[in-house]
Amino acid sequence: MITVGIDLGTQSVKAVILKDGAVISRGQAFSGFDPAKAAEQAVGEALKKVKLSINDVDHVTATGSGMDMAPYSNSTISMMGADAKAGVYLFPKARTIIDVGAEEARAVKCDEKGFMVDFVVNERCAAGAGAFIEAMARALEVKLEDMGPLSLKAERASPINATCVIFGESDVVTLIHRQESKPEIARAVFDAMADRVSSMVHRLGINPDVVLVGGVAKDDGFVASLKRKLGVDVLIPEYPEFAGALGAALIAVSRVKETQK
Amino acid sequence: MKKQSEEKKYMPEISRREIDELRNAIKATSQKIIAENIERMKKTDINRPEAMQYFDEIANFFGTREKEIRTAKEKGKKVIGYMCLFAPTELILAADAIPVRVNSGWYDTSKLGDRVVPVEVCPMVRSTIGAKMIGLSPYLELSDALISVLTCDGMTKLGEILSDYKPIWTMALPRVKDSTQSMHLWNEEIKTAKGQIEALTGNKIKRKQLKSAIDLTQKATKAFRRLQELRKGSPVIMGRDAMLVNQTYMWDDIKRWTEKTEALCDELEKRARQKIWACPPDTPRVMVTGTPMIWPDNWKLPTLIEEANPQGVLVADELCSSERILYDPVGVDEWSMNDMLNAIGERYLMASTCPCFTSEDGNEDRINWLLNKIKEWNIQGVIYYVIRGCMLHAMEYMRVKKVLDHINIPVYYLDTEYTREDVGQMKTRVEAFLEMLTARVDL
Repeated sequence: MITVGIDLGTQSVKAVILKDGAVISRGQAFSGFDPAKAAEQAVGEALKKVKLSINDVDHVTATGSGMDMAPYSNSTISMMGADAKAGVYLFPKARTIIDVGAEEARAVKCDEKGFMVDFVVNERCAAGAGAFIEAMARALEVKLEDMGPLSLKAERASPINATCVIFGESDVVTLIHRQESKPEIARAVFDAMADRVSSMVHRLGINPDVVLVGGVAKDDGFVASLKRKLGVDVLIPEYPEFAGALGAALIAVSRVKETQK
Repeated sequence: MKKQSEEKKYMPEISRREIDELRNAIKATSQKIIAENIERMKKTDINRPEAMQYFDEIANFFGTREKEIRTAKEKGKKVIGYMCLFAPTELILAADAIPVRVNSGWYDTSKLGDRVVPVEVCPMVRSTIGAKMIGLSPYLELSDALISVLTCDGMTKLGEILSDYKPIWTMALPRVKDSTQSMHLWNEEIKTAKGQIEALTGNKIKRKQLKSAIDLTQKATKAFRRLQELRKGSPVIMGRDAMLVNQTYMWDDIKRWTEKTEALCDELEKRARQKIWACPPDTPRVMVTGTPMIWPDNWKLPTLIEEANPQGVLVADELCSSERILYDPVGVDEWSMNDMLNAIGERYLMASTCPCFTSEDGNEDRINWLLNKIKEWNIQGVIYYVIRGCMLHAMEYMRVKKVLDHINIPVYYLDTEYTREDVGQMKTRVEAFLEMLTARVDL
């Protein structure tokens, strides 16, 4: 059985292909102005790697903010539902899944079967999400990928207020004027973000194991800050940005099984 | 130079031309939205009750009901507007005046309200200010006086701001609901309101008139409760339709509203016997609690719930714009004037589950309402709805969540603004929540 999960995120589209429930391929493309076309690309790339065509696929499940635009899609699953499914698949003891993407952060509480039982989403503000790091990297004239390693060099923390990207930026400018070092400002950025994410998770209650997924999970600076704020260990899978697509592909498996019943 | 008494305390000076342009544009949009909402409600329930047609008509702010009130006014009747649910409707009716609730649900006028108060202020308050600024709301315009009950901060100042245009009668609401002093103060406020109503209308409220006014609202309450009772079983009516019926009470003729609601209930009972459902009986049953949702624009959440994939059905709510309007009748023992006034006072104060209160007994009323609804109406999930700036509802969330967690009822906190732009994000959340409820059913 071949199933495909497509995650149409705000910044990039991810596709995961499963054969009998195990990952065999992945593909990714920038969402850009035409997310549907990006999704075709991501799926095409993933299929090509394993020499399959879309006709070989039994079921496609889409997720992400653009899921209604997904090509080939047979069904959809909410992003939170996909996170829960993927989190428990990757780490069977996972009960809290935190997903920090480009524009949104969310946390899902789930049961042992990977069904979500509660969730929270950051309140329509990108300050707890990846876009915040991007904006702050610009303010610091640092490459996005250098922000994490830079922050880890900081010797102390200088607090800023991440209530919103725009105000956050003016806070960063204040630190620049105070002639704080770049590593310390970078750390301040991650601490502020982690603060927002952790208070969101606290509203849900922290049930171990805690798993972090989404593109921002690849940023060591953020991960270090989040672990400090949460006070518990945070598990990160190998391909955290593909968690949504993986969850959708796993849902596709159960949808195929449902129809076979 | 203008006399000080002519100068507005709060409201900006706007040219006649700008007012007309804004009103015409927003009114046109609003008429479109009213028609569109009704169309969507019809589409959701292909067996939508025929009796809904009447309420659709009353739901048109710029239609028959406006004309009716205008005509009554020309014949000398007075119109008394109010914001919060504590205004003693029975006294207004007893003085042969027309009660109308004037809280605004228009999104576009909230942006106009920003000219007077900051964006952090409750959007319903900002929207009402904006509606007054351009004379959009027929009921607000037709009001001869407004009863402003000092509930939350927003409502307290709204009355003061509207005093730039209308006579305002404030009623001080005690914050401790169940103390002896509170009841005493509130009963005095009721008596003062009676005097003000009599002075405006020139009609002395006598025992007989008050008795028949109470009788009228008691009958309305009976019809109202009958409708909510019918929502206990498999869905015979969509939540949006029921909400619209509940809400039209705020500006309709009460006697006619009661008759039409009873007729609707007859039709619904027939549908139940024939097993004609408004949606599949296994549709997840949702309740909403929190800040009011006012027709026509702020119909966003109920629409999302009932048009979502997977679909949900609203079977109950705890909103002062819907089920809390009439849930409790005025309970009179002796039909003496004093007893009736006390009974009215008690009904408005004690029955309210508004978060502006706290109480000596631990403020349990709202929790008890929710628990009763969940049990009796077989609720599977609760959406806790907060519009930005509604501090009191936002602050009570944890209390409610803890109680619902305890009985294993999922509750989701959803906050929004008076805006159409966040519908996409809200949809994601509502659908995830409904998906979660569906998964629980499947298990």
